[in-house]
Amino acid sequence: MPTITIDNQRVTVPEGTNVLEAAKKLGIVIPHFCYHEALGAVGACRLCAMTFLEGSDKGPKLKGVHMSCMVTARDGMVVSTLDEESADLRRHVIEWLMMNHPHDCPVCDEGGECQLQDMTVAGGHGIRRYRGLKKTYVNQDLGPFISHEMNRCIQCYRCVRTYQDYCGGTDFGVLGCNQRIYFGRFRDGTLQSPFSGNIVDACPTGVFTDRTYRFRARPWDLEEAPSVCPHCSLGCAVIPGARYRELQRVRAGVNAKTNGFFICDQGRFGYGHANRPDRPRSPRLGEREVSWPEALGALRRELEIIIAEHGSQAVAFLGSSRASLESNAQLLELARFFGSENFALEIDPERDRAARTTAALLGECARSQEEVRRSDFVLLVGADPLNEGPMMALAVRQAVRAGGSAALIDPRPVELPFAATHLPLSPQNLPEVLKALAEERFERFSARERTVLAGISARIKEAKRPVLIGGGNLLGSSGAQLLIEAARAFSRGDRACGAALLLAGPNSFGSALLAAQSPGPDRLLAQMQEGRIRALLCLESDPFADHPEPGRARMALSRLKLLAALDYLPTETARRCDIFLPTTAPAESAGTYVNFEGRMLPFGSVFDPGVPIQITGGGDHPPRSFEAHTPGSLPRPAWAALAALRGDSLSLAHIRRNLQRSDARFAGLAELEEGGEGRRVNGAGQMPGHGPELPKHPSAEGALRLVVTECLFGSETIASFSPVLDPVRPAPVVRLHVEDGVRLGIHDGEKVRLRTELGDLAVEVRLCEAMAPGIVVLPRLRQGEWEIFVPGVHRDCILQKEGG
Amino acid sequence: MAEVLLTEDQLDHFRVRAAEIAHPRELVIDVLRAIQSNFGWVPDEGVELTGEILRLSPLQVEEVATFYDKIFRQPVGKRVIHVCDSVCCWSRGAEEIYAHLQKTLGISPGGTTSDGVFTLLPTCCLGACGEAPAVMIGLTTYGDLTPERLDEILERERAALEE
Repeated sequence: MPTITIDNQRVTVPEGTNVLEAAKKLGIVIPHFCYHEALGAVGACRLCAMTFLEGSDKGPKLKGVHMSCMVTARDGMVVSTLDEESADLRRHVIEWLMMNHPHDCPVCDEGGECQLQDMTVAGGHGIRRYRGLKKTYVNQDLGPFISHEMNRCIQCYRCVRTYQDYCGGTDFGVLGCNQRIYFGRFRDGTLQSPFSGNIVDACPTGVFTDRTYRFRARPWDLEEAPSVCPHCSLGCAVIPGARYRELQRVRAGVNAKTNGFFICDQGRFGYGHANRPDRPRSPRLGEREVSWPEALGALRRELEIIIAEHGSQAVAFLGSSRASLESNAQLLELARFFGSENFALEIDPERDRAARTTAALLGECARSQEEVRRSDFVLLVGADPLNEGPMMALAVRQAVRAGGSAALIDPRPVELPFAATHLPLSPQNLPEVLKALAEERFERFSARERTVLAGISARIKEAKRPVLIGGGNLLGSSGAQLLIEAARAFSRGDRACGAALLLAGPNSFGSALLAAQSPGPDRLLAQMQEGRIRALLCLESDPFADHPEPGRARMALSRLKLLAALDYLPTETARRCDIFLPTTAPAESAGTYVNFEGRMLPFGSVFDPGVPIQITGGGDHPPRSFEAHTPGSLPRPAWAALAALRGDSLSLAHIRRNLQRSDARFAGLAELEEGGEGRRVNGAGQMPGHGPELPKHPSAEGALRLVVTECLFGSETIASFSPVLDPVRPAPVVRLHVEDGVRLGIHDGEKVRLRTELGDLAVEVRLCEAMAPGIVVLPRLRQGEWEIFVPGVHRDCILQKEGG
Repeated sequence: MAEVLLTEDQLDHFRVRAAEIAHPRELVIDVLRAIQSNFGWVPDEGVELTGEILRLSPLQVEEVATFYDKIFRQPVGKRVIHVCDSVCCWSRGAEEIYAHLQKTLGISPGGTTSDGVFTLLPTCCLGACGEAPAVMIGLTTYGDLTPERLDEILERERAALEE
């Protein structure tokens, strides 16, 4: 650990730290543009100059003015940032960078959070001397998310290094050379990378700004708080910003253990759910809007009547993976309060079992996104990270960029932003392959498969930090168990093999930990059908849309005497329930999610709920009528509403303290800081009961196996209620192996009829080679006729040519 | 000049080469120059065709195509005159040469003569500092230039084209 002296202050930094970072540690911030912690140093902007007075004790003597981002701190270095020579150089460099920059700050969306503005002031440049013409450019239409204003560019290359190097995009880059540099696309058009929004954060000035937030607010007018992304199980840090009771944007937060510095576009642009005009904001009895006391009183009375008539077990409680840990815990408290043992914290039975299995077994095998980024071999089994947890794809990409390698065993044609060997095996073979890998017995596989599998097995054994990543949807509970067992089998005394499972929701792991005593959603549904459960209280869960057997779920729900729901989305359950209690959206209240690795991540409250002024003012000036209450401000945090049902009023801090006192696995929860790195839970969940056996082969002659798969911008509940994402919703196409296409006489792009036991669907077919034969891959698309198809269920289907 | 971007033989050749080598990207310049030599310049379709042959996105090809000032992404005359505007040439009268060319040809930098023969462009160092001032016409470099010598050279280039 070298110790160096900067401006007469000593600092000791880890080996390999550059001098710019070392200075930052002392609180000395020197202007810089091209250096970025995640992108590395390139020494291009020439702004971070410092004067080296003494080189190091060892190695070459370094004296004079150097770019501090390019110099590794060594013992004995003496550096000055105040020296006139380097200060003068910085002043000139910034003046030169500012030469062509327009003075359009008053109309620039970056104003107020512009690094160029800050650095210009910090660099000591104030009065413009250049009187010539400035360079101007024609901007491009980069799609619905990003605005382009090339005149402001200072050629720092951060956008390209983010888009191409870090995120693996190939449709945006740098054109021209020297005085003609242009950052853009080959032609106008929507940026293709699902991580495109990161160039907004990376750009130090206003070349790339968030188009969805254009001219809406100045950053100093925004209410912001460190938060956690609610759109998948990875738990990336985000900073939502709200103004005028409207969630206006989301930018990436920094968490070294999870996302690092970047987020995906679903996390960034999936925010519209909070502002929807049709969002339910009032407690309701049937169709009638009522006050909170009336709704709570009625709900409690109804539940008590049913319990008095049919016993405590006649009321059931359904939590979810999108509700916070605290809310789910309060739901359990409520079940206990009423003496009911009938609860589940996830409606989809296989997702429930997969999450509970993961929470029970993962233990010390768990790997964070950061650990995946530092891995040297990653095997993905039944995992489609771009669609099931996009930032995980980037984590693996960083591992591959650093010299590691990756392989994928998956029936689907999985797109990845890095090179990987792909072995397409049918879904029913995935458990077998995991077993075979753990036991190193490949004789059941074909010669080609054997070679690939032996290669994968050898690479796992050679690797120092291998990680196996599975997808909960495709692997299910037994697959998750086999994946973790395989990781254990590959672990040795000198090094462990890690595992990660992509789960369904932001709090799947947390809900699974709490669900130890749950009989599971299957039992709940069966008892509803039998008429033994008479009342169901749904916490931010939509059994109408999310049960894999919609017909059965509808039948069971129709038999209920009382259906009550707490939610912040206008789901079918929220629309159809007898008693409705409005809850706050994730950005409107604090809480905690436990991410896929078991990391507790608390998030803060960004703003208070209320109908956006945009809506109350009809898009014009805020209305000039005055009242004592904010319109639409009734939603309450679910944990508060659930506590109130018991007649209790608890603060969040109180709930967290109770939780960690009663359950040692959540130790430290109450002390965690919002926006911090979080902390892994201390202990495991319990294994769920066995699920039904998967059918091995298609039942009907000529039938294909239907594999429903999550898709980015189309599947996730909260994002599906966010209109901001409407322009990029995925196309409704199914994919089929080329061989099956030939056999069935179906051509690429042809419209055919997909027949399943759930009904028929007209679909367009895309033929693919990089997938397993015998399957049809169908994306999970919400809010349309495709919604009935839920991932994780193995169903047969028949493709029939129209008119055939 | 042929109206095809690449002949069937060239297409086959580049497709085979691209399949053989580990990094097909290294052929970008070769393919673009072949297109330019056939077509006179590289239109958008040429960039897309290069990308398709080398399995690159059009943008990845465009990054290289626009980096080099000897790959033309706009129509040019039959002969492009690159006038060196680096320091050695300045010090030995390049400005005079540049002005003379503009006057004689009746075009400004970036322009093409009305008969479509010459396009005038500045370029960075031609590596002919020893014989500064220098220009490059087509692929031939001419040094130790004076306005008189330049007139002869232009005459010869024009005559060569007419043959």
